[in-house]
Amino acid sequence: MAHHNPDAPSHLKHYFHDVNQQYETSKFAMWAFILTEVLTFAGLFVAYIVYRSWYPDMFVDAHKLLDVNKGLMNTIVLITSSLTMALAIWAIQKNNKKLSVFMLLATFIFALVFLGIKFLEYSHKFEVGQLPGEFYSYMGPDAVHLNNPHIFFSIYFIMTGLHGLHVAIGMGLIAWLVYSTQKGNLTSEYYTPMEMIGIFWHLVDLIWIYLFPLFYLIG
Amino acid sequence: MSEHHITPLRTYLIIAASLLFLSGVTVWVSYIDLGSFNIVLAMFVATVKASLVAFFFMHLLWDDKKNLTMFLMSLMFFGIFVTITMLDTEFRGDLGLNPEVKDPINKRAAFYDTLPLTDTHGHPVDEHSDEHHEDKDHH
Repeated sequence: MAHHNPDAPSHLKHYFHDVNQQYETSKFAMWAFILTEVLTFAGLFVAYIVYRSWYPDMFVDAHKLLDVNKGLMNTIVLITSSLTMALAIWAIQKNNKKLSVFMLLATFIFALVFLGIKFLEYSHKFEVGQLPGEFYSYMGPDAVHLNNPHIFFSIYFIMTGLHGLHVAIGMGLIAWLVYSTQKGNLTSEYYTPMEMIGIFWHLVDLIWIYLFPLFYLIG
Repeated sequence: MSEHHITPLRTYLIIAASLLFLSGVTVWVSYIDLGSFNIVLAMFVATVKASLVAFFFMHLLWDDKKNLTMFLMSLMFFGIFVTITMLDTEFRGDLGLNPEVKDPINKRAAFYDTLPLTDTHGHPVDEHSDEHHEDKDHH
């Protein structure tokens, strides 16, 4: 029977052999969660693939109603936020608390900019009626010939909406990381929550890497 | 936790620069008309970018391979999901409804031709019973 080691660090749970086993277990569980996330989005990607194969021309024409510049700006913002998130972990590994907090705050601000740009896009679409399903009412000259464009906007709003929800949840988690790191709870000895939230944040980036060409850059 | 791999700063900066460069490339090629090759190229560039994020930013390159296995399993199940769904949605017209299909599926499989006919309740019926009834009525 293993006795509890009085020298063990306070973050080590008694049911783990050592801190490294605890860290590896947390990380493996995080990847199991990432698997469920990928499969959640997989259902929506399948919907995209099926409807695009049924209405190839409509998808090409309807995507012209989206703003490529805003999409590209959001891609740049999200990639940069992934870099600052990675650098926040790099800084805490080097025990540089000040730099880590700075990088986390930068990540938070980039996430806010992403949602801001997304808000501008959404509000324009609400104004002109390029909306999902029965709410679609846009009848502009560039859309009158479209066959079922509301299907494109249903898939667009659900996929970018669920992605945007992930960005918002990520912002809450990053805000909590800023607090914990500033308070000194996370150090180079124990930064597991930052590594886990980092993986989540990079997944958000990874999904956008596919959403961007699939919605903004068709044909 | 000094035993953890610390990725050099230079690696992170090179990966981020590559991701931004590839984003520019994918926008640029989308304006060139390559027909159906456009989507193939766009998905190829996206997959290269996704791999850079997964291996370097998500640290999969230096992790225990069980984490990579978990991630690849999710992609494998996605592949199965797409394939089986499209086996339905892409071939719905083949069920004898589409006149362009040369050989619609037989309503009665050849296998059943060797077995006696049954009605909807599974009771055996005589194939020529209708004709016999008519014969009896008329004669």
